[in-house]
Amino acid sequence: MSDVLQSLFVLGSSHHEAPLEVRERFALSEQQTRELQTKLSEDPDIRECLVLNTCNRLEIYGLAKSESEFEVRVREKLCESQEIDRELFDQHSFWHTNLDVLQHALEVSAGLDSQMVGETEILGQMKEAYASAKDSNSTGTVLNRLFEKSFQAAKYARTQTGITRGQISIGNVAVDLASRIFGKLNKSRVLLLGSGEVGEKTAQALKSRGVADIAVSSRTFENAHRLAHELNGSAIDFDDFIGQLHNFDIVIGSTAAPGSLLSKDVIRNVMRARPDRPLFLIDLALPRDIDPAVEDVENVYLYNLDDLSTIANENLAARKSEIEKAREILKGHAWNLWLQLRRRELMRKS
Amino acid sequence: MLSELAMTDRTAFAIGAAIYGAAFLLGLVTLLLRKPYSRAAMFALLTGGFLMQTLGLNLRGAEIKACPLGNSFEIAQFISWSLVMLFFIIGPAFRLRLLGFFTAGLATILAGGSLLVPAWDRPYPPGIFGGNPWIELHTALAIFSYGVFAILALVSVMFLIQQRGLKKKQFGGVYQYLPSVQQLDLMAKRLLIAGVIVLTAALIFGAVFWVNNLDLVPVFKLMATCLIWLGYLTVVVLRIQKKLVTRRHALASIILFVLAMASLWPVQSARGNQPTETTEGEEVGFDILIEPKTISSLRLVEDNQPYLAAERLIQNVNA
Repeated sequence: MSDVLQSLFVLGSSHHEAPLEVRERFALSEQQTRELQTKLSEDPDIRECLVLNTCNRLEIYGLAKSESEFEVRVREKLCESQEIDRELFDQHSFWHTNLDVLQHALEVSAGLDSQMVGETEILGQMKEAYASAKDSNSTGTVLNRLFEKSFQAAKYARTQTGITRGQISIGNVAVDLASRIFGKLNKSRVLLLGSGEVGEKTAQALKSRGVADIAVSSRTFENAHRLAHELNGSAIDFDDFIGQLHNFDIVIGSTAAPGSLLSKDVIRNVMRARPDRPLFLIDLALPRDIDPAVEDVENVYLYNLDDLSTIANENLAARKSEIEKAREILKGHAWNLWLQLRRRELMRKS
Repeated sequence: MLSELAMTDRTAFAIGAAIYGAAFLLGLVTLLLRKPYSRAAMFALLTGGFLMQTLGLNLRGAEIKACPLGNSFEIAQFISWSLVMLFFIIGPAFRLRLLGFFTAGLATILAGGSLLVPAWDRPYPPGIFGGNPWIELHTALAIFSYGVFAILALVSVMFLIQQRGLKKKQFGGVYQYLPSVQQLDLMAKRLLIAGVIVLTAALIFGAVFWVNNLDLVPVFKLMATCLIWLGYLTVVVLRIQKKLVTRRHALASIILFVLAMASLWPVQSARGNQPTETTEGEEVGFDILIEPKTISSLRLVEDNQPYLAAERLIQNVNA
């Protein structure tokens, strides 16, 4: 009766087992993922299978026909097809069977196993992987049930615990702060100073929340122009930006300038032109682009990289404190699912 | 029909205040647990309190045959009633988070606090507005404008909390549930202008009566009300000129509301001590007209308590 479920497995490697440089070697392209999926489906000893490939994990969920030696075969298949060193993969991978597979799948879908605990992107990636495997008829009753139930359980765990509460990336923390200042961001104008990576990501996060427009100003006008093009915004001459500062609601400092670009006097003058409209300054540069004394100016809110990191870390710590609670909830769901699958198997046999 | 209810007006007010208190506690407990409260539950509780308070005001109005605004207790009840009514208009339209919680808090203080001071609910002669509907409208509008200023003060408090949180880099707790500073500031501006318009209208209606009856309006009441109006008007002008914005605007709104509330007690005292006679005689209830001279002489005897004096007079007439 339980033979079929005893051969339920997951083989994988994630940020828990492998450092970044190793994960880079395991990473699959979309094409490679599809090829691996097809290869596994064609194996006569594998009844069902699904390949989940994200930037932080590579996992193969499957149901083998027998318990004998299928772990070795799946490992070999994966390493052969992707030309991965078998020994290296064995060192940096995990293998779960039976109930542990259910618990693992549920935890992954709820974001408990993610590097950024509680992140929701993984759920979308799992849904995509499931849809792709289902389309190619690689999944059957067991994996279908497992994945559909894991999506439901993930949603339940998220609503019942605080694992998704608070933002944990610099960009999203900045977006949250901007919302606390302006409410809806559809009328807010953003000025990005410099072309630093964190600044660019923050601008992108703000853009994804529908800011009115984004302008970029950089010492190298070509850089500003390129970035403005990427962000679907406009470029401003670096010598001119102070004169236009009063038109912007959010200013992101991300230059490599050796000293402050925006002094208290400059900001005070800007606020004279817009006393009743708040100004949100995000200083992501090191050394800082904005004089810390600017904080004293009325209706100006200044946050630097440390402030945003502190908030992100506090939120992450709060999420982590909810992990055990979410895990317990998912354990109950995993047990229920296990019993359902066994009952189905029993009925199928009888 | 209302008189057939087995409930006194004070009981209805007390139940209303208790429901407001329950709404405030609901918000407080859920916020302490770092969760957002159920908007539906908050709305339902405030609706319950509002209905009970409306019933109380109706019972009181039916008893005195006028808008119940004759003493400090009734004024406090009417302000909290106006405050909750304004929340029903502003809350769903602008979706200002936590406004229900703050409204419940202030409504509890005003409605519950006034019940705890029996001296505020002192009797007064029926027909206190002398049967003049314009005076009744003047009073109702003036007190309603105080309701607008009450909700303005609440929005200003919310603004100051959110602004402090942003300046001090506080992220969790109550800050994440408060509306944005810009939303609160904009709402404060609108409420300020609306409140000043209502108060101005109230003063215009009052002025029509005052011009014809200079002796009947207590000077202190007139001065206090005009000063409050002038204060709010100054804030409006400075706000439009962008000279008094954000934090200072919020502080000014709170201070003016506290002053407006504080001025109510002396205004009430001044009105109580002022002769309320008219040239044609005063209607004090029971369809009896008492000559002004009679009331003045009775007041001397009864230590400025015309209502008691009038009642005794009526008893004597009936006898």
